[in-house]
Amino acid sequence: MDSPCCSKTRNPFTGAEANAVGVHVDKVSKTYSGVSVLSNISFDVQPGEIFVLMGPSGSGKSVLLRQIAGLERPTAGSITVDGQDPSLEETRDRVRLALVFQAGALFNSLSVYDNLALYPREHRSGTEASIKERVMHALRILSVEDAAKKFPSELSGGMKKRVSIARALVMEPQLLLYDEPTSELDPVMSATISEIIATLKNEYSVTSIVVTHDRSLALTIANRVGILMEGKLITLGTPQELRDTKNPKLVDFLYPKIDLQNPRFKKLETQETP
Amino acid sequence: MNTTQQTARVGLFFLLGVALVWVTFETLSDGKIFEEHTKTLIAGFGDLKQLKTGDEVRLAGVKVGSVAKTRLAGRRAEALLQIDPKVPIASDASASIVMSGLIGGNYISIDMGSSGAPPLPDGAEIRTVETPDLNTLMSEIGGLGKQLQDSLGSFSKALNGDGKAGGGIIQKLDKLVTDNSSRVDATMSNLQEITGKINRGEGTLGKLVNDPKLHDELLATVAEIRSTATQAKEFVSNAEAMMDQVKSGQGPLGTLVYDQKAADDIKASIANIRSVSDKLAKGEGTLGKLINDPGLYNNAQVTIKKVDRALDGLSDSGPITAVGIVANALF
Amino acid sequence: MKQLYAILEGVGSVVQLLVRSLSYWATIPRQRARFIEQCYMIGYTTLPIVAILSFFIGTVLALEAGYAMSDFGAKEFIGSLVGLSMARELGPMMTAVLLAGRVGSAITAELASMKVYQEIDALTTMNIPAAKILVLPRLAAVLVMMPVLIIIANIVGWFGGSVVARYVSYVGISPEAYFAALRHYTKFKDVMNGMEKAEVFGFVVVLVCCDIGLNTRGGPREIGAAVTRAVVVSLILILVLDYFVTKILL
Repeated sequence: MDSPCCSKTRNPFTGAEANAVGVHVDKVSKTYSGVSVLSNISFDVQPGEIFVLMGPSGSGKSVLLRQIAGLERPTAGSITVDGQDPSLEETRDRVRLALVFQAGALFNSLSVYDNLALYPREHRSGTEASIKERVMHALRILSVEDAAKKFPSELSGGMKKRVSIARALVMEPQLLLYDEPTSELDPVMSATISEIIATLKNEYSVTSIVVTHDRSLALTIANRVGILMEGKLITLGTPQELRDTKNPKLVDFLYPKIDLQNPRFKKLETQETP
Repeated sequence: MNTTQQTARVGLFFLLGVALVWVTFETLSDGKIFEEHTKTLIAGFGDLKQLKTGDEVRLAGVKVGSVAKTRLAGRRAEALLQIDPKVPIASDASASIVMSGLIGGNYISIDMGSSGAPPLPDGAEIRTVETPDLNTLMSEIGGLGKQLQDSLGSFSKALNGDGKAGGGIIQKLDKLVTDNSSRVDATMSNLQEITGKINRGEGTLGKLVNDPKLHDELLATVAEIRSTATQAKEFVSNAEAMMDQVKSGQGPLGTLVYDQKAADDIKASIANIRSVSDKLAKGEGTLGKLINDPGLYNNAQVTIKKVDRALDGLSDSGPITAVGIVANALF
Repeated sequence: MKQLYAILEGVGSVVQLLVRSLSYWATIPRQRARFIEQCYMIGYTTLPIVAILSFFIGTVLALEAGYAMSDFGAKEFIGSLVGLSMARELGPMMTAVLLAGRVGSAITAELASMKVYQEIDALTTMNIPAAKILVLPRLAAVLVMMPVLIIIANIVGWFGGSVVARYVSYVGISPEAYFAALRHYTKFKDVMNGMEKAEVFGFVVVLVCCDIGLNTRGGPREIGAAVTRAVVVSLILILVLDYFVTKILL
């Protein structure tokens, strides 16, 4: 696995270069009506790096990702993307950042093609012909070009996810945020997604932050992995360091044992046969 | 549905809306979109009353335009009339504000004017006639009622008296006649007796008339006759004084009492009184009978009471009755 | 106190949305397709129900007026009563109520669902303001379509009244007399007055429904609650605004 080196991102379609952006998370806390979801989280994501956030459900990783995308603001602390607050429109105007939502968040009233074409059309980048070329290219990368004329409601969950990633690609992002990119996908497609994330990083130096449960994805593509539990960042390191960890909590999380003799299930059985 | 079809439907829908707006506009405003094609006349009034913008202008009852604007110009109010330019308005035609009904609006009515008069040009001023509106009419009717009440009141006061010493004409007349009745009666009976005696040849005069032998005594009795004539003269002067008083009361009585019979009675009695001296020999007491007859007085009283009641009725129900009268007149 | 705060928050949110939407007004020509689509939704598809409702409002007005006026021989004024009340009050108000029920609810449902399913968030990360592509075309469309709906509502209502005036036995006025009275007392100014009202109603209904939709939080269950709230708030606003707009326009 190559280490991050490049300070420039290259446009996957035009080859035009832009600065790779870094993310700085500083002592971030978030509370929802008095309930603490994140507390005092700090880390940096280097330009061109793949940073994977892992953690059990409800550990606050998606909330953290939304804050990095500028959709929410931290209760305390600060988050900057390329040195600026991502919740400001000017920042998002300058830094192209894309978020791949867990459920896809495709525009249901638009066809797949129009979903992808919306961003370049609204930001007036290129003629309709060049937009079409870019859209079809992105769809081909995710091998969903057949779905171009369909509407999101006609797509399966995995197709939606791939279209959603394609939509992010069309934006030619400098910072790409993935929320559970491989959930609902079969192993082959998961592998494809892993390849795409890695390729974007290696070839184009796109900074990526991936929130996932998928241990193999995380340990395969990540430059660094952070693990969130109960709103706290309990460890931060390279995949190799994680593999070597002796922390029992982490070992339980990364390599859960399937115990068929678990007393919980026994209790269930006895209740069912009185 | 494809986008082209949708666009076409929206376009059609919008054009339909525009067309309908235009049709409505034409219908409700009589196509005033071509305002430059109307002729404007200025009509100045002392008071525009309830005239408002949009009211009709009618030439001999036919609608020819509308009131475009009302404004104040110095000491008068002006209405700008927009007239169909195809309709010539004679320069001697006059405009007036007419009420189209009790609850309806007003309109401006223009008459035809004379046939030879040249038409008024655009922007000219038309002659106007102020007409009373409902309110003026009402207040005038109210004033009229009051005057009527006042005059009838004073009239009845003059006739009946206001309770002070002397009383009214009727009372005075009554008193005069009553006071003198015994004397008049006595005079009458005396005269009757004298003439009777003369006819029967009784007494000096009778003997003189009937007995030629007594012709010599005639001269001797002339002195007596003379003194009798003097007495008669005195009576006539008395009667004349009384007549004068009746005459002074004759005017109002004649106006008030339209009972023809009573009036005739009065006339007859006056004639009788005048000829009293001539009819001394008859001595029928016509005057006394007339004067003592209570019928005249009662008739007069009843009539006055009736008039009084009618006046009370008018003043009690006041304006409502007046509206009723006006309403009756209008419908 | 909490309620008052909620109301103030709502007003502030609506005003912010209005300002943000209007700041993109120059993009309307480029959003032609979306504008046409919204015109279709707001105008064309709402027409049948507006026409049916206006027709029956006209008939009921004529019935009631005929019943009341025949007692004192003022039946000739039915035309003017129907004409004026349709043009000045009932046409605009009932059309706005229908707009709230049919279009406003649909807007809120659509935007609330976009919000709940994170489509609005996706737009935000794409730096495409919802106010620009979702709210502005709807506001422009309602302004263009409302006069069309109103004039149709008025005319259909007037004809409804004339049908009743002609065929109901105790009214029995010829269409000629009915329309003569209507024309005599209803001025184009009154129709314009009604349209101005309707523009205000339509604009506010669409704006408020957009705002409530965009501020939906939580799961899909909240979509239904947002729609209910949007319709209720719209109806209240229509009636409250009616008083003030009428007062201003008189």
